[in-house]
Amino acid sequence: MDSSELYHVKQQFVLGAYTSLVKSPLPDPNSPDYHLALLYQARAYIALNDTTSALNLIPDGTDNVALKAAASLAQYIAAKDDTSGEAALEELRDLAVEIEGDDVQGTERDKELVRVLAGTAFARAGEIEEALESLGTETEDLEAVAVIVQIYLSINRPDLAKKEFDRAKRWAEDDLLLQLIESSIGLVTGKDNYSNTLSFYTEQIGNPSLTSPHLLTARGVTRILRNEIPEARSDLEESLGQQPQDAESLAAFTVAAGLGAGKRSEAADAWSKFETEHPSHPLVIDVTNKAALFDEAVTKFTVPPAIGAH
Amino acid sequence: MSVMLTKFESKSNRVKGLAFHPTQPLLAAALHNGSVQLWNYRMGVLVDRFEEHEGPVRGVAIHPSRALLVTGGDDYKIKVWDIRPQNRRCLFTLHGHLDYLRTVQFHHEMPWIISASDDQTIRIWNSTSRQCIAILTGHSHYVMSAQFHPKDDLVVSASMDQTVRVWDISGLRKGSPNQSGPSGGGSAAGPGNFETYDNFSSVKYVLEGHDRGVNYATFHPTLPLIISAADDRVIKIWRMSETKAWEVDSCRGHFNNVSTAVFHPKHELIVSCGEDKTVRVWDLTKRTAIQTFRREQDRFWVLASHPNLNLFAAGHDSGLIVFKLERERPAFSVHQNTLYYIRDKYVRSYDFDSGADVGLLSVRKFGSPYIPPRTLSFNPAEKSTLITISSDNGLYEIAGLPQQVQGEVKDSSVDGKRGNGQSAIFVARNRFAVLNKTTQIIEVRDLSNSVVKTIKPPVQTNEIFYGGTASLILSSPTSVVLYDIQQQKVIAEINSPPVKYIVWSGDGALVALMSKHTITVANKTFSQHSLVHETIRIKSGAWDDAGVFIYSTLNHVKYCLAQGDHGVICTLDNPVYLTRVKGKTIHCLDRSARPRTITFDPTEYRFKLALLRNNYEEMLYIIKTSNLLGQSIIAYLQQKGFPEIALHFVQDTNTRFELALECGNLDVAMETAKTIDRVDCWNRLAQQALKQGNHKIVEKCYQQTKNFDKLSFLYLATGSTEKLSKMQKIANARGDPMSRFHNALYAGDVEARIAVLRDVGLHPLAYLTAKTNGLNDLALEILEAAGLSEADVDDVPKFPVSSLKPPPIITTTTPLNWPSVQAGENFFDRALVNGVLEGGTEASYGNGDAGAAGASSALDAWARDEEVHEEIDPEEGGWELDADGGDFETEQAPDAAPAEDEELGAGATPGASEVEHWVRNSPLAVDHVAAGSFDTAMQLLNRQLGITNFAALKPLFLSIYRSSHTYLSPVASLPPLQLHVRRNPEESAPSRVLPIAACPLQSLRSELTEGYRAVSGNKLAEAQGIFKSVLHALLLVVLASDDEAKQWRETVTAAREYLVGVSIELERRRIVEQEPDNVRRNLELAAYFTHCQLQPPHMQIALRSAIGVFAKANNNVHAAKFARRLLDLKPDPKIVAQARQRIAAGDRNPTNAIDIAYDDFTPFEICAATYTPIYKGSPSVHCPYTNATFLSEFKGKLDPLVGLTEIGAPASGLPAAW
Repeated sequence: MDSSELYHVKQQFVLGAYTSLVKSPLPDPNSPDYHLALLYQARAYIALNDTTSALNLIPDGTDNVALKAAASLAQYIAAKDDTSGEAALEELRDLAVEIEGDDVQGTERDKELVRVLAGTAFARAGEIEEALESLGTETEDLEAVAVIVQIYLSINRPDLAKKEFDRAKRWAEDDLLLQLIESSIGLVTGKDNYSNTLSFYTEQIGNPSLTSPHLLTARGVTRILRNEIPEARSDLEESLGQQPQDAESLAAFTVAAGLGAGKRSEAADAWSKFETEHPSHPLVIDVTNKAALFDEAVTKFTVPPAIGAH
Repeated sequence: MSVMLTKFESKSNRVKGLAFHPTQPLLAAALHNGSVQLWNYRMGVLVDRFEEHEGPVRGVAIHPSRALLVTGGDDYKIKVWDIRPQNRRCLFTLHGHLDYLRTVQFHHEMPWIISASDDQTIRIWNSTSRQCIAILTGHSHYVMSAQFHPKDDLVVSASMDQTVRVWDISGLRKGSPNQSGPSGGGSAAGPGNFETYDNFSSVKYVLEGHDRGVNYATFHPTLPLIISAADDRVIKIWRMSETKAWEVDSCRGHFNNVSTAVFHPKHELIVSCGEDKTVRVWDLTKRTAIQTFRREQDRFWVLASHPNLNLFAAGHDSGLIVFKLERERPAFSVHQNTLYYIRDKYVRSYDFDSGADVGLLSVRKFGSPYIPPRTLSFNPAEKSTLITISSDNGLYEIAGLPQQVQGEVKDSSVDGKRGNGQSAIFVARNRFAVLNKTTQIIEVRDLSNSVVKTIKPPVQTNEIFYGGTASLILSSPTSVVLYDIQQQKVIAEINSPPVKYIVWSGDGALVALMSKHTITVANKTFSQHSLVHETIRIKSGAWDDAGVFIYSTLNHVKYCLAQGDHGVICTLDNPVYLTRVKGKTIHCLDRSARPRTITFDPTEYRFKLALLRNNYEEMLYIIKTSNLLGQSIIAYLQQKGFPEIALHFVQDTNTRFELALECGNLDVAMETAKTIDRVDCWNRLAQQALKQGNHKIVEKCYQQTKNFDKLSFLYLATGSTEKLSKMQKIANARGDPMSRFHNALYAGDVEARIAVLRDVGLHPLAYLTAKTNGLNDLALEILEAAGLSEADVDDVPKFPVSSLKPPPIITTTTPLNWPSVQAGENFFDRALVNGVLEGGTEASYGNGDAGAAGASSALDAWARDEEVHEEIDPEEGGWELDADGGDFETEQAPDAAPAEDEELGAGATPGASEVEHWVRNSPLAVDHVAAGSFDTAMQLLNRQLGITNFAALKPLFLSIYRSSHTYLSPVASLPPLQLHVRRNPEESAPSRVLPIAACPLQSLRSELTEGYRAVSGNKLAEAQGIFKSVLHALLLVVLASDDEAKQWRETVTAAREYLVGVSIELERRRIVEQEPDNVRRNLELAAYFTHCQLQPPHMQIALRSAIGVFAKANNNVHAAKFARRLLDLKPDPKIVAQARQRIAAGDRNPTNAIDIAYDDFTPFEICAATYTPIYKGSPSVHCPYTNATFLSEFKGKLDPLVGLTEIGAPASGLPAAW
């Protein structure tokens, strides 16, 4: 059982309250929680794409595998070009092999974390197979399960995700993360009108022990999926009120704007703003690709001559 | 364990008789020591004592409708008492019995009293005439009880002779000479002679069966049943018919004499008590014992039931107890607008708005049939209930409610899941917690009733409640604990007496924790809380919309603000259980679990709330609209430190003055001081004004009080020389030398000073003053006047000329007031100045907090919905849509991913994406666009509507695509999941999912309306753009029904007609500008414009424009024709007049100056390319999408109107996707 401070840190991490997590002070370096809290904070920085702060946080020359893995992940995400990215991936691969050995600096938990971080990096790199392989099939670490489930979901295999979840349900206590995993599956399958996901996020928004705009965004997205556009906008506006530059919320907001009863021009404005500010967001990349596709498809039709042009 | 709930207990001498008041919470107790007590059992106070009997009193009864009490004692006397507090006294005494009285009772409608006595008789007395009107004889031993039948003319009596007798007294009613109304005065009674009585009454049945003396017998309130209690330890049930009566059954169990047995007023139960020190409850139909309540020391002598409540009283050796047999608090739970509650063992729902009240689920088979369920917890996500009951040592049951109720409601035993536990509540959509009190374990279970977590509570827990997400509230004997289930730790703890109920506010921010006599209002983390203490027991509570907690005690409804202020809203006759407070209505359940409403006036607490929140707008509104604000509110405001607000409510001048001083509002203080005009007022005002530096008011005060000295000094201080000189004059006039001197000194007026000194004879001083100020002439004059010369004053030391002067005035403060303590210009002042208070202008008033910012967009959308309404339905029918989609067939979608039984792990292959399903599931182009399958979408549009030029549609395609997909990263650092927005979110089967309709038909129709507006506003170029864009967007609309398809076609047609019309008019304007000589074309185009299918207002515009153009060109016939058409449209009277003139002009001068190509007798279409008429029968081609008409020579060309299609190309029309 984790101490309650650590529990709180973990809860913040799981529910995406990264900003408040990195702002909260670390426990005393001699405290048993220090190591794990440090890891969570580093990972929260990584999640926020603030890899510099993450790397600053991780002590140089550490021998701990988990810390090393976190550093590698940060380097991978920070990598500007393929070579440095590949180098970081290589480090992670080495670490993944290293933890199979005996004389490793770190607890079982650290080892699991190495797998989780490596899996995350591989999944980001599009190496689905490698990611799943390093995470293993028999894992009893919920964070690993969460990554596995999301990978399955991203390759449109909600059936496998469900299976993995059911398996985890057997050994994981009624953990918060388990509920999150269930709700993520719900997001993709849309079972029962997304009601499980919606109530999960609604419950967590009501959780007295933390506030996270991410939860509001998540509920907003769920409500978009439920076609409750005005409610979704309201959630997203509230979330953006707390984190005006959050790409995820902005992306969802442009979608809600496009679906709402508002003017089409308003949606277009929201989109062009988003497009310029977050050119690397998957939504922007996807739409850019589609625009090219459109131009290509148009050429397949011959436009008849205009009247007057005989 | 017992279901007997003791409500009140008193210690006294042995109680032999008991009687409830039918409407008030009063109980009369006859004591063995001769006293008769009247208790208020609700408040627990002794109201009165009646002590005129000598020796024990056994019989007591309260009149069913009047404030009368009758008692019968061992002194053979029957006494009738007035029990009204102000004139409590013995009204009269009835003499006649020859031995102890056992029972007395009033008749329910006649002015009769019946008494049973050890003299073996039963007597009936007329309480008006105070005469005995009947003696029933027949019993051969003490008569232990005698009772009237609740309706019929019957009496039942019980006697030591081991019989129960039923008497017919109908003769008494008919033939009684003593029968007279209360006003009759009772003088009609003849001398009482006993012999005649037997004529009126006779024994109807003698019930034999008891083996010992019978102590008590009574009728069932509605059924023809009698029960009797006897010394043979048996309770017997007897049934009567018209002709006979017989024993039905016996209830055995008491092991000593049974004193009394009564029927339960509402349920099929018998309650009895006896000398074996027990009170027992029996099932009337099964005659089995249900409950036994035992007392250690005291034998029970008497038992009384309340005539209409579930309330009993039992008298024993050392006092009495008042008790209930069951809890009357109905189990209920409120979710949004619905109340879920249990009545008569049925779960019901009650809609607060519509009042619809339906039974949903039977819980008859759950727990003991005699005990109602205790709590109900509702789970909206699963639409299920969790019910607990206290029988069988505590049970819970979780059962789903039916989605719709039709026919017989199901019983929860069909699919309910049960277990043991004393307290059970839902803690999440799929979890509930169950407390086992004895083992002190809380189990968290999932919906299949299996344990997922076990918690050992950190305190002795008697009850658990929902504590917000993943939290529980634990109620222990000395505190409440907010407990986190996930972390298994205490978040916060508040000391409190045992909390019995909690109520969360609507937004979940506050919780009210109710115990017997306290309410703790806490926020959701328990970090802040306030306590309200009540002397009367607290029953229930509910939050109102503004965040005020409304609660009920036994006899009041009250409110409590978050900071702890509380007050009474209304009083209650009987306790109710509040469920919901909405505006001025309190919804509640009464003791029989029937929904009721109470209307109340929330003004007072709303005002206080507004005050706390500094919501002046609302306060002002309340002040304006209500008249409730009396002394109490003023005192409240003052006490809370808002004297300036209180000021606005006060009429009384003295109070106003006090308040004005307190809050430093000098203007008001001044005003009131003028009215009061007392010296002390002015002085106080002066003081206050001085403090605030308002010397003008100070001046006025001093003037009012004629305080010249201070006034002068004030003028000196403010540097008002002018006023000082005036003061000097006044002083002169008053002849007050001291004042004159002061003023002269202040003013620096040496001569005046000298004059004063001289006037009062202080010549030496005058001389010196003159001398030292260099006024030698004056000094000499003084000397002379004194009869002295310079030489006489030789010994006076010489002083140099004094340079002392009053300080010069640097800043003239006279016209300036020092900055006041406070500007005093608050919201109320402004409102008052503006006269708003009198109801002049309208203050914008928002109830409660103005909507939180986050909710704004939802509201906006709603407001927009309100705005967008169809202005006029296009009357034109349009051509029918090819609804069945004809030849277009989708390829049959292959079955979704084969049901493989693949192992988890690295080998997982990607599955079919949602967008692939979309493409498969829909034949609509828009769905393909949403799926990002642009090429198939284009093919579909080409085939269905003949579109070939797609370039213009690119932004539309992209915006639809990007609106159909959203992203979320639930797990840190992983790439976000792409989620696909469905228009049918209730579907999750891959073979039926469809993308969201990004651009609904409705929004395009409102856009079209905007185009109409642009036309009306003569912004034609803009309108042209709008119509074009609407026609583009209409290509990518999801249609869900035939009706929508029809609307779609209408919209397309309307947009096309307007587009053509607007284009014609634009062309005409171009001609007017660029080819002013081409009048003919100008006229033609004006005429054609009137042939587009426009709505009447726009048609009027077209016609009036045509009339103008034609009249100018002297084409009077045509102009008159247009004018006639205009008249048909019933325009404004002004326009009518113009049109009439035009027609008249046409009639006067029926010629057309210019010949144009316009034959209005033959129907024609207008070529949308050349704007020339195509008369009926001439060849034409059409746009495959908009159906616009073109001259046949344009076949195969790009449609110039919208720029999308090839004119005359074949098209299949839209497929039906629904």
